Amino acid sequence: MKNITQNFEYFAPKTVEDALSLLSRYGDKCRILAGGQDLLLLMRQDLIAPEYVIDIKGISDLDYINFDDKEDLRIGALTTHRTLEKSTLVKNRFSILSEIEQNLGSVELRNCGTIGGSLCIGRPCGDPAPLLIVLNGRIKIASLRGERIVSVESFNLAPFEVDLRPDELLVEIQVPNSPPRNGVSYKKFSQLEEDCALTAAAVSITLNHEKNICDDIKIALSMAPTAMRAKKSEEVLKGKEINANLLAEAGQVASEEAGTLTEQASKGYRKKLVRILSKEVSDQYRRELMKVLVKRAGEEALERAKRA
Amino acid sequence: MKKLLELTVNGEHYEVLVEPKTLLVDVLRDQLGLKGAKRGCDSGSCGACTVLLNGKTVHSCSILALQANGGEILTIEGLADGPNLHPIQEAFLDHWALQCGFCTPGQIIAAKALLDENPNPTEEEVKTAMNGHICRCTGYNMITEAILDAAKRLQEARR
Amino acid sequence: MKEYSVVGKATRNIDGVAKVTGEAIYTFDMTLPGMLYGKLLRSPHPHAKIISIDTSEAERLPGVKVVITGKDTPGGKYGPWRRFPELMDEEALATTKVRFIGDAVAAVAATSEDIAKRALELIKVKYELLPAVFNPVEAAKDDAPQIHDGVENNINVTRHIEWGDVDEAIKIADYVREDRYELSSQSHAPLEVHDALASFDKSTGRLTVWTSTQSPYYVQLGLADALKMREGDIRVIKPHVGGAFGGKISTYTEQICAALLSIKTGKPVKIVLNREEEFAVTRRRTPMHIATKIGAKKDGTIVAKEVKVIADGGAYTALGSTALYLVGIYSSFPYKIPNYRFDGCRVYTNNNPSSAMRGFGGPQAVFISETQIDRLAHDIGIDPIEIRRKNGMTPHYVVPGQATIESCGLHDCIDKIEQKVKEWGELPKYQGVGMVCYGFMSGGIFNWINTPYAFSGAMVRVNVDGTVDLFTQASDLGQGSNTALAMICAEELGISLKDIRLHVADTGITPVDLGAWGSRQTLMSGNAVKAAAAEIKRKLMDVARIKLGENIVYDLEAKGGRIYLALRPERGYSYYDIVKDAIKYNDGEPLIGTGHYTPHGKGMVSPAFTFGAQAVKVEVDIETGRVKLLDIVTAHDCGQVINPPAVRGQVEGATAMAAGCGLTEELRSEDGLVLNASLAYYKVLRYRDMPHIETLEVHTYEPEGPFGAKEAGEGLTTPTAGAIANAVYHAVGVEINSNPLTAERVLKALKALKKNKAT
Repeated sequence: MKNITQNFEYFAPKTVEDALSLLSRYGDKCRILAGGQDLLLLMRQDLIAPEYVIDIKGISDLDYINFDDKEDLRIGALTTHRTLEKSTLVKNRFSILSEIEQNLGSVELRNCGTIGGSLCIGRPCGDPAPLLIVLNGRIKIASLRGERIVSVESFNLAPFEVDLRPDELLVEIQVPNSPPRNGVSYKKFSQLEEDCALTAAAVSITLNHEKNICDDIKIALSMAPTAMRAKKSEEVLKGKEINANLLAEAGQVASEEAGTLTEQASKGYRKKLVRILSKEVSDQYRRELMKVLVKRAGEEALERAKRA
Repeated sequence: MKKLLELTVNGEHYEVLVEPKTLLVDVLRDQLGLKGAKRGCDSGSCGACTVLLNGKTVHSCSILALQANGGEILTIEGLADGPNLHPIQEAFLDHWALQCGFCTPGQIIAAKALLDENPNPTEEEVKTAMNGHICRCTGYNMITEAILDAAKRLQEARR
Repeated sequence: MKEYSVVGKATRNIDGVAKVTGEAIYTFDMTLPGMLYGKLLRSPHPHAKIISIDTSEAERLPGVKVVITGKDTPGGKYGPWRRFPELMDEEALATTKVRFIGDAVAAVAATSEDIAKRALELIKVKYELLPAVFNPVEAAKDDAPQIHDGVENNINVTRHIEWGDVDEAIKIADYVREDRYELSSQSHAPLEVHDALASFDKSTGRLTVWTSTQSPYYVQLGLADALKMREGDIRVIKPHVGGAFGGKISTYTEQICAALLSIKTGKPVKIVLNREEEFAVTRRRTPMHIATKIGAKKDGTIVAKEVKVIADGGAYTALGSTALYLVGIYSSFPYKIPNYRFDGCRVYTNNNPSSAMRGFGGPQAVFISETQIDRLAHDIGIDPIEIRRKNGMTPHYVVPGQATIESCGLHDCIDKIEQKVKEWGELPKYQGVGMVCYGFMSGGIFNWINTPYAFSGAMVRVNVDGTVDLFTQASDLGQGSNTALAMICAEELGISLKDIRLHVADTGITPVDLGAWGSRQTLMSGNAVKAAAAEIKRKLMDVARIKLGENIVYDLEAKGGRIYLALRPERGYSYYDIVKDAIKYNDGEPLIGTGHYTPHGKGMVSPAFTFGAQAVKVEVDIETGRVKLLDIVTAHDCGQVINPPAVRGQVEGATAMAAGCGLTEELRSEDGLVLNASLAYYKVLRYRDMPHIETLEVHTYEPEGPFGAKEAGEGLTTPTAGAIANAVYHAVGVEINSNPLTAERVLKALKALKKNKAT
């Protein structure tokens, strides 16, 4: 069976400052190890061979879920998917996030894998990036040079590429409180009941406080070729009274707006991974799915918004 | 350069020297001689390597041994009480919930973790909790039945 | 149904405790003192000449003990087809050319896996690329690149099966339909990869090999051929096996190379494939292009059928020629077809070799036959269950020139399934039920390996305390043959399992058995075990008879640990006492019974056939094409059930694998490179994908089988893919002629149907 070929120097810092110092010193020669559910697999495939590995699992300061004074959700980067899944706080206030966590991989994966790690690897299927995009999620990134906050929407650049410099550490995920009359839905498609999605759609609809007009709409797709906001699709629904026809049209526009997952656009180790993913189904079929999923997620989001 | 790894496995304390790149599953199998946890894939997909680490199920092939430093591990070898099998093991035998047996240690450990957390699961909850485990032999339903029966036996034992 | 003491009663797996405690040892777990690690260097090209191989730098790497290439293998070409030397077309390590991506060209033994891996990188191979071909239809053309010397048009083997006059019969048929199919490849994907541990003893010149195999005997023969050694100097032992499903029948490169490396180093050498190799370079199910024509009268009676197959053989013969033959046989099952013709052609391509995979031509045959007969029923306007009833085989039916069907519970199976389908009742929109019938062999009679031995042998030794040592080379891969054979022995001797100890699957100790393939062990190995036990029973009864002093016409029985007069059960003795006497009265000679079985007078296919019917209920999401399994019910006639939970386990496990073949499993490749060589991308069904499965009992008695038993292993892998296709047809009206029925395929078909309806 495959093992990691290249040996490396291993550090296990206990504070964020120590981790940042190491990152600053070793830059692109090192990799952050959190849950390891992605990184170690890539290393065993000889796709990534860092000289230094910084195991941050011991930084307990990064494992938390709480609300700030604006009622925004603050999640420490090292919070495991299992913790998120089981959190009553999350279930009560952001049930959609709870829902997505229940269906993310296996129990074993969720026990180890962290939300920060999942975001940083930048998988095209992106969980939970598409959902966080429509929730207006933000990411706090730290380095010795200071902190910066970016939207999840701008974080995903390309398949397996995110906006993270070699000396930076993702420390927190922020999810703003939902406005009234808001409904969110996430629909993913896989051939097996639970599997990495062929594609997924997340939709957030906010209705006007008096009428059923869509005041605000966010639509995001995965595998398009990575987590992507479908702005053209949003324009079909914004400001309108949403009905079945409009939802179908939004789906159609989203499917045309999405980028293509293709190995040509990737470099280095990403090329092999993208090749495998892109060949699972035809681009045409993937877009068919996007059309249907946007429509269905839109239907459910609308229902939830009306009930909210 | 090797580092010192300290583990408590099935109640026994171990100190071994490992290279940082060593996976937990290989320490268990090759250095501690506990061959129950198997390696069935190279993609973290099959669950054959599952052990309990600090009470939670993990894929021991997807963790560096050093990440488990100071931790408590339960493998299949630690489940039976001497010659007395654990009720989950008995249930597996009574329900023919294993055939080739290669996935079985991982399945049983996962079943234990499930029943520790949720002593009275529904069939759906069992299937969801166990979904990370591939079995190429049984078609799964007989394992689900064994786990549901094991839940009953454990509840009886508690009374 | 006869009531037995042990047979037919739910019995725990005798290997179960070892498996649930993690104590069971698989080849994967084994180590030996001083063991070296072997790895294989594989061709990255689908078709190329080997110009040179420079191993010098690899040899100099500290920790590397030896590097071998094709020139170091003594035996030249080998293969499972010893009857036809021209089909023995494999080499342990390629000498002049490579024929698929993954064809092995060198092997290394080193003190650690890391060093062995590093050594592979240091081996320099110069290739001259050759044009490659991946489609069998293309490969058979005159201008296609030639893959094996002297093999014109890359035609590996052809098969022809015929009876009656198809052309005449088609002329007078009321209904004729033709269908074409493209059936894909699946991978066995056992949880334990292929592995081998070889240890050569310099002092005796003898080799021992432990390997995950279905047949220690075939491995022994293949090694003898490849290494030019005597069979008797090679001992092959099968530890516990983590699944096989047809992929571990023969001798493979890793076994031969582990042996060679051990011979050269004098140390044990272990080779373990990784999961990517397991998918990409080991055998796979034979993909087939199939054209089939069927003719029937207006009352639904089938008058003729013709099937033509072009199979993608991949780079070597392997056992693919048998899959070709069997798809021809099974395409005539389970119906009485008076005129039949099959022509099959297996063509070499530059893909990895296709061979046997659970069902062995059956899944393909049932898919095409059962979808076609459903559509034929629709054409004629007859109920799909009625058409099957009308044509279904019955006991004692003779398949012209091929086989005689003795026991046949097909019609009971059909009745039971019909009843179940009625219970399911009226279905909501987009749900549908597909039904399928099948028949399967209980062991093959074809003797590719040209063995002079009986197909199954067994030995029973009874010790003075009554404990029994049962020796059988039958291979338990998880299906429970160890338990079943012990049960047969216990039943025959009238004792319980606790007195029986098994010694299995070791060519140094156990009598020859062809191993676990073609669903042969319950019937063939079972017969041998029963015969060996029967020999002991005779000896014990002779002693009991003398002691009783009764009239010789009175029969004896052995049951419940006693041997007694059948008509006066109180007149008898304890089995344990008779055993002591039997040994004492024979000058202390050990009590040993031997038995063997080879089918005779049973045609050339199989000594017995199982039958069954299955119904699958599905729901189709017409916007995405995704098919969801809702319920599966199977009625399987396996004669006398030896161990009920084991049969249920086989039904459900086979169904999961067959459903995978029908829904999600496909080994995809492009230009010879397997794209989904990982359990993340090769989609086997999991807990949440499996619906409720029910098995209905149908009992028959097969005179050729031990206590009337037949197989329950592979036959059950044949129906589900076809049943799913039929269910989708009934749910949403699409005819799909390829597998698996992925959402993408189904949606494409739905759109095409919509378009056709519109025009």
